[in-house]
Amino acid sequence: MPLISTQSLTKRYGSSVTALDALTLEVQPGIIGLVGANGAGKSTLLKILLGLLKPTSGSATVMEMDVATRGPEIRQYVGYLPEHDCLPPDVSATDFVSHMGRMAGLPPAAARERTAEVLRHVGLYEERYRPIGGYSTGMKQRVKLAQAIVHDPKLLLLDEPTNGLDPAGRDEMLDLVHRTGTEFGIATVVASHLLGEIERVCTFLLAIDAGKLLQSAPIASFVERTGTLGVEVEDGADALAARLVAAGLTARADGRSVLVDCPDERPYDIVRDVIDEMGLSLTRLEQRRHRLEDLFRAEGRTDDAA
Amino acid sequence: MTRREAAVAPRESATGAIYDLGYRGYDGPRLGRRAAFVTLFWASLRAAFGLGRSGRSKVVPWGLSAIMIVPAAVAGAIQALAPGGLSPFNYDNYLWDLQAILALFVAAQAPELVSSDQRNRVLSLYFSHALARSDYALAKFGAMAAALFFLALAPLLVIFFASILVSTDVPAAIGDQLGNLPQIVGSPLVYAIPLAALGMAIASFTPRRAYATGAIIAVFLVSAAVGGILAEAGRGRLSLVAPLINPFVLLDGTRDWLLGASIPDSPVSRADLAEPVFGALTAVLTVIGIAAVLWRYRRIAA
Repeated sequence: MPLISTQSLTKRYGSSVTALDALTLEVQPGIIGLVGANGAGKSTLLKILLGLLKPTSGSATVMEMDVATRGPEIRQYVGYLPEHDCLPPDVSATDFVSHMGRMAGLPPAAARERTAEVLRHVGLYEERYRPIGGYSTGMKQRVKLAQAIVHDPKLLLLDEPTNGLDPAGRDEMLDLVHRTGTEFGIATVVASHLLGEIERVCTFLLAIDAGKLLQSAPIASFVERTGTLGVEVEDGADALAARLVAAGLTARADGRSVLVDCPDERPYDIVRDVIDEMGLSLTRLEQRRHRLEDLFRAEGRTDDAA
Repeated sequence: MTRREAAVAPRESATGAIYDLGYRGYDGPRLGRRAAFVTLFWASLRAAFGLGRSGRSKVVPWGLSAIMIVPAAVAGAIQALAPGGLSPFNYDNYLWDLQAILALFVAAQAPELVSSDQRNRVLSLYFSHALARSDYALAKFGAMAAALFFLALAPLLVIFFASILVSTDVPAAIGDQLGNLPQIVGSPLVYAIPLAALGMAIASFTPRRAYATGAIIAVFLVSAAVGGILAEAGRGRLSLVAPLINPFVLLDGTRDWLLGASIPDSPVSRADLAEPVFGALTAVLTVIGIAAVLWRYRRIAA
């Protein structure tokens, strides 16, 4: 059963802005990364799936229910973490999450019980009785996640869950998302403009750009294709690049570094041997972080080859 | 099922197996839209009186509630101390005399119910649940109307009990007073529903609480002033319609029409208009107000 499928889904704001452009996709349950630059249409897609926005044309189904006709039914089983702030400052996390649980259809006792559980799950303890207005950004993101899972959704839509968090907070939030998705088996869509985050927690990748589907593939296959090794040497980057190309690799000099494409593990040995032969001083050898640009570049190359 | 197993599966760590019970699935009933509506209504009604909120949010609603009741309580006490004395208040004139308190309550608490959800963008969360947009609008309107109803009902109940307690023949007094039940329950209804419609219609159009409060007060002040000026200075047709400009005159006229007792020397009793006119205009005002709230929430971005 496809988790989400869309057929030529289009959303225009006014006459000039096209957020989604005839988007057709189908994804199976799992942890799905939805990646795209700001304004690519990620939030618009999530809002259409929730029924918060009406598409201009085309159709979409969530868990085989049409968003146009069965919105309320879908929303009962979906948890949503919006990109923006959405918490009232004068209410405590306990009261708020419990209220949202009731909104999602939990009976009062179940709402209280599950609120305690999910707040513990996201790591909010003593502070949960204090008004949300006094929370740090990290704590607020946890409350947002808690209200999204309080009713035990079958599908979780997370829009930039690490927004505004420091590096440690990001790691914790990603870990939480990963645990929620894998251990508890809740199908999850994580929208982000940071490919590194998607790569860490997701099993499947959807890349969209300007409202069009760019890529739809399991994360593993994608990582292989764009893996890049950064080799930083003290001197002679150009010479090294030339030697590596001569050795049959795809490499190019980039300042003091040489970027080597690594479709498999073979280049590592060659790079090591070549540097040894040339007697260069190696200062850094790193797996390059995949950024969105890499993805777009990789896609462009595939197009050229085709 | 894998999720059930996951819930009790030990997680390995340096200190041994930790049984993580932090998250479990939920197999119980999901109550759906109607339950969400009722929950939102009660939560909003509580919020209208600052219940479950900080002490600061209680000051205004409780203060106004106290001011609303005090005159009735004082009048009752005076009657008890000086038997036979006539109270200046009765079920007909009380809400008219204390209309400023009702107006202030609407101005302060209607924005409290709707502005915060817009300003803090909580609407996205409400609308991503089973609740429909119209449900949200109607639950909020209903909560405001209910809050106003209780605010207006409380002093009338004080008059009711005071009248019974100060009388020499308590059983007869109970019988007498029970005959006034339509006024005791009816007048607060006549005031609460249109005032809530008017207040929510204005408040729902801005996320800024101060603007909403200011706008509601302005509507009451300006309409009362214009109505008063026209009644004094106008001639002919203009002074004829003057009573219809002030919403509180409309409400008093409607109460007069439905529950039958006019207040001596009030704008309604002085007006040269058929009573159903007040009722009809009040109904129109109420319907427009509710329609405006519904329209606003159908259009608002979430």
